[in-house]
Amino acid sequence: MSLGLLEDKIAVLKDRAACLAKARAFFAERGVLEVDTPLLSHAAPVDEHIEVFRVALPEGTFGYLHTSPEYAMKRLLSEGVGDIYQLSHVFREGETGRLHNPEFTMAEWYRIGIGYTAMIEESLDFIRCFLGPLPSESISYRDAFQTFAGVDYLHATPAELLQVIKTQGIALSDEAQEWDKETLLQLILGYVVEPHFGREKLTVLFDYPSSEAALARTRQKSEEVVADRFEIYYQGIELCNGYYELIDPFEQRKRFEEANYARIAMGKPALPIDEQFIAALEKGVPDCCGVAVGFDRIMLLRHKGTSLNQVLPFTWDSI
Amino acid sequence: MAQIGTNEFRAGLKVEVEGEPYTIVGVEFVKPGKGQPFTRTKLKHLKTGRVIERTYKSGERLELADVEETKMRLLYTEPGGVIFMDDKSFEQLTISTAVIGDNAKWLMEEISYDILLYKGEPIEVSPPTFMEMKITETAPGVRGDTASGRVLKPAILESGAKVQVPIFVEEGDKIKVDTRTGEYVSRAS
Repeated sequence: MSLGLLEDKIAVLKDRAACLAKARAFFAERGVLEVDTPLLSHAAPVDEHIEVFRVALPEGTFGYLHTSPEYAMKRLLSEGVGDIYQLSHVFREGETGRLHNPEFTMAEWYRIGIGYTAMIEESLDFIRCFLGPLPSESISYRDAFQTFAGVDYLHATPAELLQVIKTQGIALSDEAQEWDKETLLQLILGYVVEPHFGREKLTVLFDYPSSEAALARTRQKSEEVVADRFEIYYQGIELCNGYYELIDPFEQRKRFEEANYARIAMGKPALPIDEQFIAALEKGVPDCCGVAVGFDRIMLLRHKGTSLNQVLPFTWDSI
Repeated sequence: MAQIGTNEFRAGLKVEVEGEPYTIVGVEFVKPGKGQPFTRTKLKHLKTGRVIERTYKSGERLELADVEETKMRLLYTEPGGVIFMDDKSFEQLTISTAVIGDNAKWLMEEISYDILLYKGEPIEVSPPTFMEMKITETAPGVRGDTASGRVLKPAILESGAKVQVPIFVEEGDKIKVDTRTGEYVSRAS
């Protein structure tokens, strides 16, 4: 395994191919089936903070490029396919930067009845395949904010969060006085907390607030409602997002509708809800955990690069 | 004035922040987890050069600064100001030495300069990247200096700029100089 400084592009691409093969071997060893669901769908992934590429269809309507293969994979789960994984290109409009490209490769997999803790372990092992035998540490969202930002996220008011941001020397736009608590928490997470993660070890962040649940289940934890969602970081970079999957169709529809209301409030268009996905949940998706890993970022860390354009054949600004 | 959204922020764009004109010098996309995306922006004040940082929520908009770049030829200098002319409209403009600042050392008659106007007022005068001018003052080259490694010597150019030149160039020689760094490029004919 070559883990030296960034070599020439061809060598990086050869290593990328070897890593894709290694990923497939990882799942084959565990009896997880490879699937490749369509990238283009009639329904849209609905998330208040993720923008979808819309494709004009010949019949005069629109299709949408998936932002993750989640809905289609869960539909397969409802049909009894068993454990599955996918290495897929996914699309998120407007996400461009050192660590973002609007089209990127995601490794996503679902395990039935494996348990949340075992899924975290499996995700760490997957990452270790590429980054070496790194040790790991875990911290809850609430403890991470307490330790690295000195604030109890649960009880803090927006004014107190703004004060934390100011103390850290982060200058915001004039409109920040009106930002809601979730926005301020996300800013503190990104600017203040995340840089402390994964300095020596892989860091698992778990027990997210319910407002950050996305498609994870939630539960009561003393005075908090937490989501069974985790992320794994290395060197301050988010690599992986996992859920103990929400399989309740009513709750799922409610979250889609809330996301659409939030989108409208932000001046963004509401998106058509994937009724076939909801129908699959109604039919019954087995109790499962799901994980998505940003494959390009793993390649970036493996090659000790600084920007995704060093490990991708081409980025959006060059094609 | 037109507005631009965070997804259109690019280095080099000139925007209005808190009523002041800035050039965007750095843009970084920040998105923690699946959350709210932010745009971390580095901005350089057009007049003072002070660099500030501002973070915007994606989707926020900034006003484009009312700036215009134009080329004008230097006609002559008078106490406290320099007179330029637009060669197309023949309009003349007096720019105070305070606005010209450090770039005053690159001023020469008959040369065209880039003038940056903010709300119609000049705020920056930039010389061409390369200029050719005569050396008005420098010590004669001394044999043996090359061997000791001291291959450069100070010189004063006709515009008043102080630069370092190789020991073989003499007073009265014409040289090509890089105005960004003040470095000697070559001899000029």
